[in-house]
Amino acid sequence: MNRALCSRAYLLCFSKSKSLPFEWMDRAIKLQLSTSEMNYFPDEVIEHIFDFIASHRDRNSISLVSKSWHKIERYSRHQVFIGNCYAISPERLIRRFPCLRSLTLKGKPHFADFNLVPHEWGGFLHPWIDALSKARVGLEELRLKRMVVSDESLELLSRSFVSFKSLVLVSCDGFTTNGLASIAANCRNLRELDLQENEIDDHRGQWLNCFPDSCTTLVSLNFACLEGEINLSALERLVARSPNLKSLKVNRAVPLDALTRLMSCAPQLVDLGVGCYENEPEAESFDSLMAAIKKCTLLRSLSGFSEVAPVCLTAFYPICENLTSLNLSYAAEIQGNHLIEFVQFCKRLQLLWILDSIGDKGLEVVASSCKELQELRVFPSDPHDEEDNNTAVTEVGLVAISAGCPKLHSILYFCKQMTNAALITVAKNCPNFIRFRLCILEPTKPDHITSQSLDEGFGAIVQFCKGLRRLSVSGLLTDKVFLYIGMYAEQLEMLSIAFAGDTDKGMLYVLNGCKKLRKLEIRDSPFGNAALLADVGKYETMRSLWMSSCEVTLGGCKRLARNAPWLNVEIINENENGRMERNEEDEREKVDKLYLYRTVVGTRKDAPPCVTIL
Amino acid sequence: MEICNSYSSSSVDSTKHSASESSVNLSLSLTFPSTSPQRATKQDWPPIKPRLRDTLKVRRRLLQRDYDTCLFVKVYMEGVPIGRKLDLSTFSGYESLLENLSHMFNTSIICGNHRDRKHHVLTYQDTDGDWMMVGDIPWEMFLETVRRLKITKPERC
Repeated sequence: MNRALCSRAYLLCFSKSKSLPFEWMDRAIKLQLSTSEMNYFPDEVIEHIFDFIASHRDRNSISLVSKSWHKIERYSRHQVFIGNCYAISPERLIRRFPCLRSLTLKGKPHFADFNLVPHEWGGFLHPWIDALSKARVGLEELRLKRMVVSDESLELLSRSFVSFKSLVLVSCDGFTTNGLASIAANCRNLRELDLQENEIDDHRGQWLNCFPDSCTTLVSLNFACLEGEINLSALERLVARSPNLKSLKVNRAVPLDALTRLMSCAPQLVDLGVGCYENEPEAESFDSLMAAIKKCTLLRSLSGFSEVAPVCLTAFYPICENLTSLNLSYAAEIQGNHLIEFVQFCKRLQLLWILDSIGDKGLEVVASSCKELQELRVFPSDPHDEEDNNTAVTEVGLVAISAGCPKLHSILYFCKQMTNAALITVAKNCPNFIRFRLCILEPTKPDHITSQSLDEGFGAIVQFCKGLRRLSVSGLLTDKVFLYIGMYAEQLEMLSIAFAGDTDKGMLYVLNGCKKLRKLEIRDSPFGNAALLADVGKYETMRSLWMSSCEVTLGGCKRLARNAPWLNVEIINENENGRMERNEEDEREKVDKLYLYRTVVGTRKDAPPCVTIL
Repeated sequence: MEICNSYSSSSVDSTKHSASESSVNLSLSLTFPSTSPQRATKQDWPPIKPRLRDTLKVRRRLLQRDYDTCLFVKVYMEGVPIGRKLDLSTFSGYESLLENLSHMFNTSIICGNHRDRKHHVLTYQDTDGDWMMVGDIPWEMFLETVRRLKITKPERC
């Protein structure tokens, strides 16, 4: 395998460079060079070859070939991805990859997005910035997901790395607009500041003012998640002096005329996030907006629209045919018919995120209009079933999409009902699914026509979609669905289970069958110690396991921790700190939340009182 | 500097960290999340992110406001035993109310200010139980305190 990789790299390399001897090229092309022969190349050549190998996994494989390759790879690695910030320490990271330029870090487990993880659980950025700063790493890019970031960390970051270019924060919290001010003020070469869905304490300060007049390098600016007012003229001036700006996503405090002015001085925009306009605009304002939009001929991606009068969407008609990405998942004020009218003209759409107010009829329109569609997400507009409307989506919409969109490979679908027949049809229509996430709003709801479980439906999905990497299941499900998953889902890397299964067998089918499983998250399902403890070694091949409101007991977790010292086994108990002490001796006590993950650095020291690491 | 004025009075739900974290032990809940009242404070199902949850909450609150603002009150004409019922929320102010009442009772009705012998006068009973002349207070305030209406003979006032 490594040979094939290297050969590919050779070919790439040689095709771009004419300076290497023909003889070597010839032998390389004929796959005649072996690893040991390759070692006769000077290191710089090998390094140059490695440059063409970008994927983390490929690079990890290369580094295992030999000591010398390991060394060369280490020093030439510039991008590092760390899926769990507690799996390794910053010091060890830096020791191995001293030439690090781009770092991706993920903190809290996925279910933290849904309020299942206490706020103070962990995932602190500071130790990382501290270590990187002390080691004088030439950091240029930082991407964080579900980490706790402080203003101090941001300040340190902004002062420590001269070439710092790109900061992307997704679902993070712990900082304020003061932290943003530091970034703006001190990062001289900033190209990207992308804030997605973070909880930021907005001090309504003047952070935008902190970008110096000399800052003209911005390519991407996204502050849609900020709640507060911003200095509009500072924003306008910033945009006006950023000729390379391709992506701009503003927050709710940017009114229509301001948006018009922004677009007028940035007609080169490719990606736009629109603010909030409750009231219908005056005709003149609307016309100006439309005129500005018409000039943005490069615009391909549109988002925002929270609390927006429907008419504002129509201003974008002139460019809707060019759109490849449309995110209207916050546009709760725009009714289904307006959505449908707009989407039907977006013939080049590849990504669509929308609320279920579009209805089955709307999805049928999407299916017939958007033939390039690759990713669809349909979110619930009435998550707790409080309204009496019938316009939410059902299995009908899902089937229509699967039939109409041949390139579809990723779907997230919230609906009120589903049938096995529909799922089987979908599976046959779309064997290319990589991600399939279905969430039926009412837990354990059966097939609404046959009243049976949805085992067969999901079974068909895993059977036909041979490349499936991510799956979320819902509705009424027995152990059988897990038997199917274990049997067929050979490429599955992430599985999310809620309110499903009957016995430990269910979980065991998955653990034994899915060889490539990396993340397993389970809630409210009857899996217990037997399943948890059956194959402890399995967890070494996985990033993490989450189990909440299941049947595992404290005793079971303790036993696991004893048998697997290379795992951190965390028990999270939010119901006040005393509980763990009181019941310490009762090993039969069920554990509220269990989170375990492999790590090379042992027990973490920053766990809050509600977390016990066994 | 133009700051969007509508923002300051925005009804955005800022309680993102809604109920405190010390809520129900999940393993004790007897029914499923969406139907169990115990789970109401624990927003963990369906699996949607906080920002979407908040956006939808705002939308629900706005919808709720529409449902809650119908305001039916009884209207009697003095001397007529059978009364009528009227939804005050459908009117934009005193003028449209008077016009409608005049039409409904087929007589000319006015507010207190322009009294004369010919016209009926509109009065209302407020939350304290007192009978007052319609028209003295701002319309929105009137809507909050009015309990019933009476169209009186001119001499009475």
